[in-house]
Amino acid sequence: MKYLLITICLAALACPVFSQELYINTEPASNMATHSLGVRLENQGYFDPVYKDRNTLEVMYGASKNVMLHGSLYQSDYYQSNQRFEGGSVYFKYRFLSIDSVQKHFRGAFFIKASAISNPLTNQEISLEGDNSGLQSGVVFTKLIHKLALSGSASYLHAFNNTGGYQLPAANADNSIAYTLSAGYLFLPKVYQNYNQVNVNLYAELLGKTNPGYGQSYLDAAPGIQLIFNSLVRVDLSYRTPLYNNMVRLSSNTYLIRLEYNFFNVF
Amino acid sequence: MAATLPLVYFLRLIFIQMKTFRIVIAILAFTVATAHAQFIKAELQVNGLTCSLCSKATEKSLRTLPFVGDIKVDLNRNIFLIVFKDNVPVSLDQISKKVENAGFFVNNLKATFNFTNIHVVNNYFSYTGDTYRLVNGDNKDLNGPVALTVVEKGFAPPSVYKKYNGHASVGAPKSGRVYQVAI
Repeated sequence: MKYLLITICLAALACPVFSQELYINTEPASNMATHSLGVRLENQGYFDPVYKDRNTLEVMYGASKNVMLHGSLYQSDYYQSNQRFEGGSVYFKYRFLSIDSVQKHFRGAFFIKASAISNPLTNQEISLEGDNSGLQSGVVFTKLIHKLALSGSASYLHAFNNTGGYQLPAANADNSIAYTLSAGYLFLPKVYQNYNQVNVNLYAELLGKTNPGYGQSYLDAAPGIQLIFNSLVRVDLSYRTPLYNNMVRLSSNTYLIRLEYNFFNVF
Repeated sequence: MAATLPLVYFLRLIFIQMKTFRIVIAILAFTVATAHAQFIKAELQVNGLTCSLCSKATEKSLRTLPFVGDIKVDLNRNIFLIVFKDNVPVSLDQISKKVENAGFFVNNLKATFNFTNIHVVNNYFSYTGDTYRLVNGDNKDLNGPVALTVVEKGFAPPSVYKKYNGHASVGAPKSGRVYQVAI
């Protein structure tokens, strides 16, 4: 299973005719259209050792042609038996590079994320998506060549004590490096006729983190499929599993289901 | 049978009259549409875009412009065929701005301008307070609809707009924004 995933991901990354850049587990360097609003409902979770899941509400806004903002709220039963509100995060992305020509582009963006989360700190992984209060900043570059889009990012994470009086254990790393490599391919339609055709995008993403000086790191493979209806509604499905892992996390195998709706020309 | 014949003639007469009426209306509409100088339509090619969600965002952005009447999109070639409203002044800068706001760039903008009642002097003409310079006009007298390609930054790739850069703009009174256009 693991080798099959590695093979699929490597093939996807190497194949010169692979995808689109509306990545499932990462953000591209491109932004949403100015004054457009995206609303996401997301459920992710794991089955082993017991079933647990997290729900996320995310709102995204194109503030200008170069600036995009996200705000997220998290709720899960990851750290207790019942679903509970965990906190939120804000994300800012600035596109500083655009080299475009017909049906291709190369873009670069800088991003920063901050989160305030109220959960016990039991993991070695620093994650601002519902687990840690912290700061993250980094760069992302995306290259689109017709139906294939490739993207890579590198970022630095810093964890604080969580809100609610949860202290970061002295033995835990409070700094981390994250890196991602994503490939996406527009699988259907083969030829566009109108906006109502269902778009099918295939994704292969590699997601890694390492805590420098602690010898803790992981690299996950996350294949995914995306359906876009009416050029407005997006459905994402992805499964994430480690290729390599020696970091204490809640679970290394997680699924993700997401529904996204886009509104154009709002305030 | 004989009694129905006059009825058939009568109906045919009404039909012919309706047809004539429709032609007259069409001619009138055409005369109204072409009686004054105006941008009629444009063919816009957008850069860096391959997904229909991105095209839709671009189209929605363009449709907020008051002078845009209708848009037809070729999703495979990323070409937007825009029909402008009659009597509403067209701003080419606004088109470029809306495309950039959607996250993309104009690769090519070919706008059809109706030169009726417009005087081209030394390759310059004015429209709604702005000046247009024909970079390859050769002082030709223009009449009726002519397709103009905008050859400057924000409307064309560097290889195109650099070619026309630095041409001295001499003669002819200029006002407002000066657009460089090629026939």
